[in-house]
This record gives sequence, structure tokens and C-alpha cells, in this order.
Amino acid sequence: MSQGLWPTAGLSLRVSLAATALALVVGVPLAHLNARRRYPGKGLVEGLIVVPMVLPPTVVGYVIIALLGVRGWVGSWLHAWLSYSILFRFEGAMLAAAVVALPLLYLPTRAAFAAIDRDTEDAARVMGASRWQLFWHVTFPMALRGLASGLMLAFARALGEFGATVMVFGIRPGHTTLPVSIYLDYEQGEMALAAPAVAILCVLSMAMTLLYNRSALSRQD
Amino acid sequence: MKCVLAAFFVLVAALTAGGAPSARGEAITVAAAVSLKEALSDVAVRYKAETGEGVEFTFGSSGQLANQVLNGAPVDLFVSAANRQVDDLDKAGAIVDSSRRVVAGNSLVLVVPAGSDKAPTSLGALTTPAVTRVAVGEPGSVPAGQYAREALERAGVWAAVRDKLVLGTNVRQVLDYVERGEVSAGIVYATDAKQAGAKVRVACVIDPRDHGPIVYPAAIVKASAKRAAARLFLDYLTSEAGQSCLKKHGFSPPPVESSAPPPQ
Repeated sequence: MSQGLWPTAGLSLRVSLAATALALVVGVPLAHLNARRRYPGKGLVEGLIVVPMVLPPTVVGYVIIALLGVRGWVGSWLHAWLSYSILFRFEGAMLAAAVVALPLLYLPTRAAFAAIDRDTEDAARVMGASRWQLFWHVTFPMALRGLASGLMLAFARALGEFGATVMVFGIRPGHTTLPVSIYLDYEQGEMALAAPAVAILCVLSMAMTLLYNRSALSRQD
Repeated sequence: MKCVLAAFFVLVAALTAGGAPSARGEAITVAAAVSLKEALSDVAVRYKAETGEGVEFTFGSSGQLANQVLNGAPVDLFVSAANRQVDDLDKAGAIVDSSRRVVAGNSLVLVVPAGSDKAPTSLGALTTPAVTRVAVGEPGSVPAGQYAREALERAGVWAAVRDKLVLGTNVRQVLDYVERGEVSAGIVYATDAKQAGAKVRVACVIDPRDHGPIVYPAAIVKASAKRAAARLFLDYLTSEAGQSCLKKHGFSPPPVESSAPPPQ
């Protein structure tokens, strides 16, 4: 059932990039909001964003299936009206990886927003900057380092996602990610076949970690 | 903070000190194909009642379990859903060759979710557009998947359905995909369909001539320290009491001529 290393690596990259993008789109506004505002239920929202970091990914997979599976709360509705099920689809793999990657993007980004000197923003406001101008020309650039390190960690985490992915994306011939292909080879007693996938993941994850360390250290200069 | 740290270490000490298991019971460990789950658990209950001997199980796909045995898992008896996995262990010298015998047989069915309309009624019908996903066991490690692949190849649709396939890591996962309605159809054992009851519907029974004979060979693991106890349970499995229990769960008796492994 093996499908060759490069298609597997290609799918893994596409899933992790899409998941990181999703985490970015969801994570940055939430990080900005939570760094600046207080509102009822904020603790719960932050808890929900961050808890996949410590939960077993199998719990994340379970919750996604319970919500979005054909018999799930939302999924049964989607299935009835649109004949759509997220399971075994690219979107499923993307969602599973995005949920586990989100906290790693969210936390440094939120910290970066929180660390911005409010006086600088006030100065921009005094000079007549609109809310959008303020965000795009002052706040966002100042938080970019934190966001960049969050992106690297989130991408690395998405690339390594296995537990939730194997539950939500399943195992389909010609559509396995690198971590799933390693597990499949192991299960078939073909450890040697998994070595190249292991090597690729080690190199990519190490590269991401090095980049992260470098950007995190340079911030202290 | 100091209090939290102190409480943490007290907790660690309390849990790890009492955590060492006191002298393990004499129960044997049987690694068995997951399709046998309820049947073997049932046999073990009777066995315990009659002999007082305990049996513990680890269930999974036969390929996965064989792999674990090969890697030194503490297993006394291995019951596979196909000859291939026992052959592999035999070649590796991991089982007591003379202990090998077939304990049951089974058949293959195509199942669909209970409420599904437009359900396929044959393997050939799996190529129709109404069928979006088909679940089978992962043929490399799941015997039910291996048999399913043979049957699909025999029906001439393996290549055509390949892109619709979702692979289960054991046959019960395939059954679960069908029960939950996540796939249009799945190929499982007749006993699994029976186990699922009203949640799935048998769309067709697959002709046994279209795949290799479905047999459950059992063998004692060479590294086991409880070989005698394992042999007693194996004897019980093939005894009248054990067989009637397996029969109750839908398994067929071992084919008469299949006590020796077939030539590959």
C-alpha cells in the first residue's frame, strides 16, 4: 500500500501549510483581541484555544468526529443538506492539524501583542491613524517577530500531527501523510521502509526548531 | 509554590511506591485477531468457570499482533485470522510449530450502513458513483483486508475502487466506519456483521471461492513461560465446549483438512 515517498511528503507539506494558514487566520485576530480586551467568557475562549496543546491528539480527533462526523452534532446536518462529510478529506486533515497547531501560534503572537508599548500606539492615534492603519502600520509590524516564531512552531507541529489525523483523515491508499505512513510501515513489520520518512521529518522539524531558536534569541538583542 | 512542589513530590512517591504490581497472576495472555473479541472473551469466561484458570487478551489486527510477538511482546498464545501471519512467525522461529492448529473458520460479507438508500448489492456495484467511500482492512496487516482485496481483484474492480478506499487498521475499525455511516460500504467478516446487529445491513455474502480460505490458526509462542497453560487453553478452544461457544458467535468449525498449513 505504499505510495512512494515524494507524494507522501508532498501531501504532508500541503496539509501542514494549509493548517498553518488556517491557524494564522483564526489565531492572529484572537491573539489581538485577547491581548487587548476583557470580555465575559474570555478565560473559556483562551482555554479552548490552548488546551489541545496538552490534550492527547486522540481526544482532538474524537471531538472533531463527534462534532463533524456523519453522525455528529454538526456533521449530521452537513451530511443531510450537503451530503458532505469532513472525514477522509483534505479539509479533515487540515482541521485536525490546525487545531493542534493553533496554540503554538496563538501563545507567542498574543504575548507579542501584549508586549507592545501602548504609548507608541497612542502616538499613532494622536497623529490621526485609523484603526486599520494603526493595526497594519504599527501593531502588526511590532508583533511580527512573535508571530513568525509562532508560525514556525505551528508548522512543525502540524507536520508532525499523527493522532488526530489518523482518526479524522483515516488511512487511504495514495493519501497518507508522513507520520501516518511511518505508522503503517511499522504496523506491517516494515520498519526499514519508514526510515526515509523518519529522516525527512527529523530534518524538517530540526530546521524549524533552529529557525525558531534563532528568531527567539535575536529578539533579546 | 513550595506547598505545590511538596504536594507534587508526595504524590509521586505515593503513586510510584504502591505502583509496582504485586506478583503477577498466573493468567495467560492471548493475542488474538479482533474479529474473535466477543467469542474468545466468552470462551474465557467459561474456561475460568470450569478450570479456575484466567486468560487475558490483547486484540488487534493479526499483522499488528504478529509484529508485536516478533518484537518480544509478553504473549503466550497467538490466534490469527489468516495463515500468513503465523507463517511469518514460524519462519522467524517465534512459535512452537507443533502447537499450530486451526480453531475456526469465517466468511466475508459486504456491509452497508443500516439506513442507507442507494446501497450497492454486489462488489461490482462498488464502482458506481453513488458509492463514494469503501472501507476495507489494510491488506498488508489486516487479514480481512487481504481477503477483501482478493475478492475485489477477482471481481475485477480493485483498480476501479482504489481511489474510494479507506483502510482500517483492523476489521472492527472497518465495521465502525460502516456503523457510523462514514463510508458507503465495507468488507468485514460475517461474524462482525452479526456482532453489529441492526446498525449495519449485509448487502451481499462474498463467494468463498473468490478469496483464500478464511481460517483462524493458533500457535503457542516460543518465548512464553506458560506454554503448558497456553496449551490447555488451546485444547479447550478446539474442544466441544470451546467450539460450541465459537459457533454461537457465528464462526464455522475449522475445515477438516486445514490442520496443516496450506502450501503457499
